[in-house]
Amino acid sequence: MFERDTTDEVVAIDCETTGLSIRSAEIVSVAAIKIRGNTILTSERFEEVVQPDAGMQADAIRVHRLRLADVAMGHPIRKLLPRFLHFVGGRPLVGYYLDFDIAMLNKYILPFLGIELPNPRIEVSELYYERKYGDAPQNTSIDLAFASILKDLDIPQLDQHDAFNDALMTAMMYVALRDKKRRGSRIPRLRTHTVFDPTGG
Amino acid sequence: MPKAFDAANPPFDRLTLHEVETLRAALDIIYFSPDELIIGQNTPAESLFVVIKGTIEVRDGGDLLALLGPKDSFDSRALVHGRSGHAFVSRDETLCYAVPKATILDLIQSNPRFASFFYRDISLKLDNFVKDQEEQRYGSTMRARISELFMRPATFIDAEDTIETAGHVMHDADSNALLVRDGERTGIVTGMNLSKAVVLRRQSIRAPVRDLAHFDLVTLKSDDLVSTALVLMTKLNKRRIAIREGDRFIGILEDIDVLGFLAGSAQLLAGRIERAASRDDLLVAARETAAQVRTLRRQGVAVELIGEIISDLNQRLFSKLFEMLAPAEFRSSGCLIVMGSEGRGEQTIRTDQDNGIILRNSVDQAQLNTFRSQFSGALAEFGFPPCPGQVMVSNPTWSKPLSEYLADFRSWLALPDATSHLNLAIFYDARCVAGDPALLAEAKTSLIELVRGEQAFLAHFARAIDLFATPIGLFKNLITSEANGDALDLKKGGIFPVVHGVRSLALEHGLMETATDRRIARLRDMGVLRDDFARELTQAFRFMLMLRLDGQLAASAGASGTLVRPSSLSSMERDLLRDAFHIVKEFRDQISRHFNLGMF
Repeated sequence: MFERDTTDEVVAIDCETTGLSIRSAEIVSVAAIKIRGNTILTSERFEEVVQPDAGMQADAIRVHRLRLADVAMGHPIRKLLPRFLHFVGGRPLVGYYLDFDIAMLNKYILPFLGIELPNPRIEVSELYYERKYGDAPQNTSIDLAFASILKDLDIPQLDQHDAFNDALMTAMMYVALRDKKRRGSRIPRLRTHTVFDPTGG
Repeated sequence: MPKAFDAANPPFDRLTLHEVETLRAALDIIYFSPDELIIGQNTPAESLFVVIKGTIEVRDGGDLLALLGPKDSFDSRALVHGRSGHAFVSRDETLCYAVPKATILDLIQSNPRFASFFYRDISLKLDNFVKDQEEQRYGSTMRARISELFMRPATFIDAEDTIETAGHVMHDADSNALLVRDGERTGIVTGMNLSKAVVLRRQSIRAPVRDLAHFDLVTLKSDDLVSTALVLMTKLNKRRIAIREGDRFIGILEDIDVLGFLAGSAQLLAGRIERAASRDDLLVAARETAAQVRTLRRQGVAVELIGEIISDLNQRLFSKLFEMLAPAEFRSSGCLIVMGSEGRGEQTIRTDQDNGIILRNSVDQAQLNTFRSQFSGALAEFGFPPCPGQVMVSNPTWSKPLSEYLADFRSWLALPDATSHLNLAIFYDARCVAGDPALLAEAKTSLIELVRGEQAFLAHFARAIDLFATPIGLFKNLITSEANGDALDLKKGGIFPVVHGVRSLALEHGLMETATDRRIARLRDMGVLRDDFARELTQAFRFMLMLRLDGQLAASAGASGTLVRPSSLSSMERDLLRDAFHIVKEFRDQISRHFNLGMF
């Protein structure tokens, strides 16, 4: 896990949680998908539902559409962590607001291993910001919403609030943004005023 | 596991639930930069790709053959047969599912219906396609609207009118039922009601029809479904339903017409044409003939059969009209011919009139002129638009004695230009529909004799197959600035090269057949075309005719219908179309080599 990764692989991850407070929320499900070059290896994936220690909150159930019955099928997170850590190895982690996901994971990993995840972090919203707003004049309104990134990159909207789908969409964003950067292609910003089109569109 | 992978998208819709799970578990997703070569020409592939977003160009050398969009898959040849005939290049940023070769091979082993998608032989694929289509056919017939059906006219009489009057009105209107107006109410009276009243109940023919009319009239609107009409008739045990549009009655629908529609009524129409006593009778029959195409197609009748049925009905129509309008002398010593696609029996939706008459001797000019304008005029009235190239009876060039035709042939050969090639092509496809067929046979035999051995002439003639480039179709609505929007021209790119290439070979070998598929069969028997290639060419040709017919049926009135919008096709159809174009291209190359067209 501490070895430098030499495989040109990264791992897109996403956690679904019962809330947004790192201290009180619990992880409900975890998904991780390896990306090798431009291939998103959905055939090699990590996808698990977690059996939480505390009872799930009702609104979290609503958001994730996981019922207690589904969660009961899962394993306690301590049983899943070794497999998860083995899966990601030393590869850089890719995510959307990744710090939150990593903080949530660290909450469990720290007592378990005595360390926090050392992997390099790649934040897709940062890649997106750089491609879209990196050269923007001041006072440009900035929108880094997940849906906006999907729309700009023309990535299909999958059912959200499913850890696997979120990780997959993040992975698609990553390969598209990385390629744009390689090609020096920028994402156009919308004009703030409408342009008269004499052809009627 | 990408749950978003759409298993309803052909060919994956043929997999069982369990197989879909196996497939999903094995999927990867690959991103391609713009202009990235995904599969090279003549190289194998290790995955089957299914487009998620973006556009893939299918290339053959420098030619752009087609564009693939979301849900299209490629390339079964590269995967199963080890080499792709085309190169696949991403046009823009593209995401694809990649299914590993091993997974596809396992599924091919376990699922024959899925496997058929990957057959190299287009005819096997087509057979499977047709079977799938047939399963859908009954449903589509039942979804038809009443307005598409033949209806009896809505003729009214007053309730005070006598039985005798009703009888005469029925006779004049050629209808077996009349609507009866009685103050506020509307009823119906039938011929059977009249006969029963008079014969069985011995009522006077001067009795008013009010007492025998039925006022429990069942009505439907013209945009109601045919299936609704059928259900009502069965449930209420009614043989007739009055059809209205708003407050107005527009017709009476009889059970026989509903059943005729469901079962196809080509044979009824043939009878109606034979019995026609006037041009007006023929006019009605002509309109119904045109409507038959839709019905037949809906019933899943193969396109070559539709062509045959419609040609037969048109032939009867022409022949009957000829009988009505032509002087006796023309009929005994003249031959009415149809040419071009009508002659080949490949015309389904009506295009232009392409007809002419060959006369044995010179005839009275005034009489001939009258016939010329009357005949072409009547056909125009029947819905056959005049030919823009003036290839019709009204043009003296196409209505004259045999000797003058023979002189024409000689000048076509002596001074070959685009017009003479076109005329020769049209005439070589001619078929006799009325009069003395010996005249046409004589003319064609002379034509074939003239052309025999004239290799340079034949090569020039065949060259027209290179008039139009391999079609570039925009398979998704991506670039709309193209001249044809996102459509491609099936006629120019696919159908014409086959028809003309086959025609050139047929002319060279002196065949008398006119239909393209019969010509192909004869050329195969003579060893000019290889067995398996002849079969594939025929299937590809029929498939393109079918697509064209569907396009024509879907197109609103006035559209030429030769433009096919690939975005409106299923992925399966698009895949077959690619295969068909591939075969057309191979055929073009064969013709090119055969006539040594490279020398031009």
